[in-house]
Amino acid sequence: MLVGIDVGGTTTNAVLVDGDRVDKTAYVPTDHDDLLRCLLEALDELIRGVDVSKIERVVLSTTLITNMIAERKTDPVALVLIPGPGTNPRDYNLGEAIILDGAMDFRGKEIDRLNEPQIEEAAASIEKSGISRVAVVGKFCQRNPSHEESVSQILARALPNSKIELGHRVSGHLNFPRRAATTMLTLATKESYADFAAAISRALEGRRINAPVYILKADGGTLPLEGSLKMPVETIFSGPAASIMGVMALTPPGQTSVVVDIGGTTTDLALILSGRPLLSSKGARVDSMLTHVRAFAIKSVAIGGDSAVDVDDGCLAVGPERRGPPLCLGGSSPTPTDALRVLGKSSVGDLEKAKEAMAGVAGKMGCSIEKAAGMVVDLVVEKIASEIDEMFLEWEQEPAYRIWEIMKKEKLQAQNVVGVGGGSVALAPLVAARMGATSIVPEHAPVANAIGAAVARPTITLNLHIDTERGEYVAAEDGIMGQVNDRQMSLTQAEQLARRLLTERAERLGIGEYAAEAEVTRSEVFNMIRGWSTVGKLLDVRMEIPAGLLPSWRCS
Amino acid sequence: MASAIREGKTGLIFFPAFDWAISPTHPEREERLLYTRDQIFEEGLMDLPQIEEYKPRLAESKDIARTHFCVPDVESQVTEAHLIAAGSTLTLADAWERGEIRNGFALVRPPGHHSMRVVHGNRGFCNINNIAILVEYLRSRYGHKRLAVIDTDVHHGDGTQEIFWHDPDVLCISFHQDGHTLYPGSGFVNEIGGPQALARTLNIPLPPGTTDEGIHYVLDNLILPVLKDFQPELILNSAGQDNHYTDPLANMRFSANGYAQLNEKLAPDICVLEGGYAVESALPYVNTGIIQAMAGLDYSHVREPDYVPGSFVQSDAMWREIKKTVEQVNEAWAEREEMVQMALEGLGDFYRRKKRIFYDTDMINESQEESVRLCPDCPGYMTISSSAQRGHGILNNAFCVSIPRGACSSCREDASEEYEEHLENRRIGYVYLQDKDRDRFKFCNNMTRTQKGY
Repeated sequence: MLVGIDVGGTTTNAVLVDGDRVDKTAYVPTDHDDLLRCLLEALDELIRGVDVSKIERVVLSTTLITNMIAERKTDPVALVLIPGPGTNPRDYNLGEAIILDGAMDFRGKEIDRLNEPQIEEAAASIEKSGISRVAVVGKFCQRNPSHEESVSQILARALPNSKIELGHRVSGHLNFPRRAATTMLTLATKESYADFAAAISRALEGRRINAPVYILKADGGTLPLEGSLKMPVETIFSGPAASIMGVMALTPPGQTSVVVDIGGTTTDLALILSGRPLLSSKGARVDSMLTHVRAFAIKSVAIGGDSAVDVDDGCLAVGPERRGPPLCLGGSSPTPTDALRVLGKSSVGDLEKAKEAMAGVAGKMGCSIEKAAGMVVDLVVEKIASEIDEMFLEWEQEPAYRIWEIMKKEKLQAQNVVGVGGGSVALAPLVAARMGATSIVPEHAPVANAIGAAVARPTITLNLHIDTERGEYVAAEDGIMGQVNDRQMSLTQAEQLARRLLTERAERLGIGEYAAEAEVTRSEVFNMIRGWSTVGKLLDVRMEIPAGLLPSWRCS
Repeated sequence: MASAIREGKTGLIFFPAFDWAISPTHPEREERLLYTRDQIFEEGLMDLPQIEEYKPRLAESKDIARTHFCVPDVESQVTEAHLIAAGSTLTLADAWERGEIRNGFALVRPPGHHSMRVVHGNRGFCNINNIAILVEYLRSRYGHKRLAVIDTDVHHGDGTQEIFWHDPDVLCISFHQDGHTLYPGSGFVNEIGGPQALARTLNIPLPPGTTDEGIHYVLDNLILPVLKDFQPELILNSAGQDNHYTDPLANMRFSANGYAQLNEKLAPDICVLEGGYAVESALPYVNTGIIQAMAGLDYSHVREPDYVPGSFVQSDAMWREIKKTVEQVNEAWAEREEMVQMALEGLGDFYRRKKRIFYDTDMINESQEESVRLCPDCPGYMTISSSAQRGHGILNNAFCVSIPRGACSSCREDASEEYEEHLENRRIGYVYLQDKDRDRFKFCNNMTRTQKGY
């Protein structure tokens, strides 16, 4: 049996999955001041009367880190940058930073040396500030981490009680400012996250649940709790990821679907393209910071069941404002929820009150109550549908750097519109009709997020960069550098090396059994020509275990 | 000029064509923009609020036919890579016209500025002329009239010069390493345009070893004042990066910072990458600097690893030569109206010239006879009779007719007649009619007697 728990914005859902069946569900309201308590309350309700020794796996999706960052309850971090030539670091939105001399180039060659006295000075100023967490990030240090490592050694000697995090261990991708932001956020949340993880472990132990515990990440993959301690920021936005994985679990495989989650004031949209959830092409934006965190592409539209309906000069408008609950639910102003109630498309709220709400709109529009309700609903549906069209267009318009990528980019259309979340039951079918797609409201839609958490498999991404002229390879996030003796190394050999490194990482993380699922998602080779002859090759391989479902789950 | 008052972001199209090369070890190969990719992505430039990345589209055959006579046809002269590179400039033009961007940079390959009006193959790494295609698009699609192309590549922009040779509304200025010492061996001070457009083509040959100071002297004392006089609706930069002191194919001493400052002062509305082959030591830094300058960002931190400020000094002789060249070109500019008047007085109804063109990449020799009607009522129609031979291969003969925008009825009739007359002439393989006024283009293969149009 598998347990999935999603601590969401308003409710905490839990499910017990047995094979391909949802055995039991439970939910409690979420208390933002005590996420651990809600999580455990939901768990306790779920496992009441259940033989806990049969639980094979527990997966949690939590808003802990998201909330910490949004509420600015993170720990202070000192940022030390080695930016080298290029952009003025003040042009990045990174706040205060100590700037050090030293530089690497794109090949990982040292082009400017570190200045030791300057590093000592930096240590002294950090000590004076009283900050005990230091992020050290160098431009191109993912191609050669030696500067970050040297700086870290000097700082560790001078600041023995500090925690130091290095950029190359956080992300091997190109983009220095994102790497700096992600490294800072990692440090700023690591300790609170570790406390939370320890509390979870204790609590499960107390309930005699000995199954391994996983945490859901923003890319829809799971990671053992122990392994996730190193990368707490990856757990941000796991809520939407849980919903999308839930939709994947509850819809036919391989299809193109739009996931529509309509709430009170916002509607979240996500795409599953030919069975694969669409990842944001760059990392996630966290608060105001751009990061390297891989996350599903989610579009939030400011419209929902509680959005205020206004008539201005004969012109109907819905949202983005919310002025309390819908009139039919005891509020004071008309909303789409009232319109749906009038049209009989939903049974939520008091019909008379709903009619009263729409009567006000009808009066200003000079039409019948039903007509007014119809116009309100049409407007909401049109807004959501056009945002979906826009999302497909944005996906098509993503930059491409090769001829074949530009030539082959296919056009996709939504086959399904899948409604999850409370507000979607009535509206999602209307959006589907507008888009000419099939409407799916899955049987377990209200707890889709918890199901998604329960049946998601682990994900891993490995970035391998090889420079055969320099005779080196580097897998930055693992802090691994090695030698390559063959100047003519082939892409196949590079991919074999990537697979070996990925398998080793998977084993270290305790998810070795999934390594076979890894696939190459980017693979490129360039001949280096100097003069008119080939002096070596540059090979880049990205191998990943993408988001997917456990084999035990079969879509029924 | 326009960008000084325009607001908004800098539009960037990065199309490195990582799967296209002239040949595996050719300077114009897959690796060329690899380190530039690494640098600008690592800098996070695309994330900055001042910059917006666009996806390129493919230029249409018609966009090419508006500028070139491709022999035998557009499809046989261009690959998808060429269409994407040319299309990138058009995507930026559209964004500029919609007011979405203050300026734009097409950081694309393959380059284009050595491609001339008639295209039999590749010369100087170029098949079609991206910036000329952009100019014709801006005019036909958006009705612009006066445009300026500043060629900042180390090689003379001979293709662009040839295409706009007779056009008084397109100012073509090229500074470059002296043609006595570098491909394509042209671009001397006395090349100033056709009789109707004298001094609308300006060439500034510079001695090998010219530094930041020398190039900025040319900019401050010649290019910027001429632009101020000319008042173009858009300034376009044919932005080669091979004036750099590490370029393997040339001998100048320009720096990344010098390039950035040039673009800040020139304030081009659209920049299009041309050459530049120091793939590791120059391109990553020069491109970063240009993007920053266009976006109004601080570029003072861009510095090549081996650059020592103040290490390049021009000799007095070089200074004298540069100043003399600038003086000569300024004189030509000042006297342009009188020169045109005098030239036209001495000519009859037609201006004719013969020229030979060598395609270094494809080893093609072409000879042309060009004729322009000196019409009192319109810019005058033009014909080009071209024959070209690849090595000892077959001789391709083509007859090209071009009707200008705003053509008078008599030029239109005569031009159409010339086209018709050359149909069925089996000694000429291909006949073309480029009607810029009606934006229609057709050609006939005389051997197979098939017609095609765009």
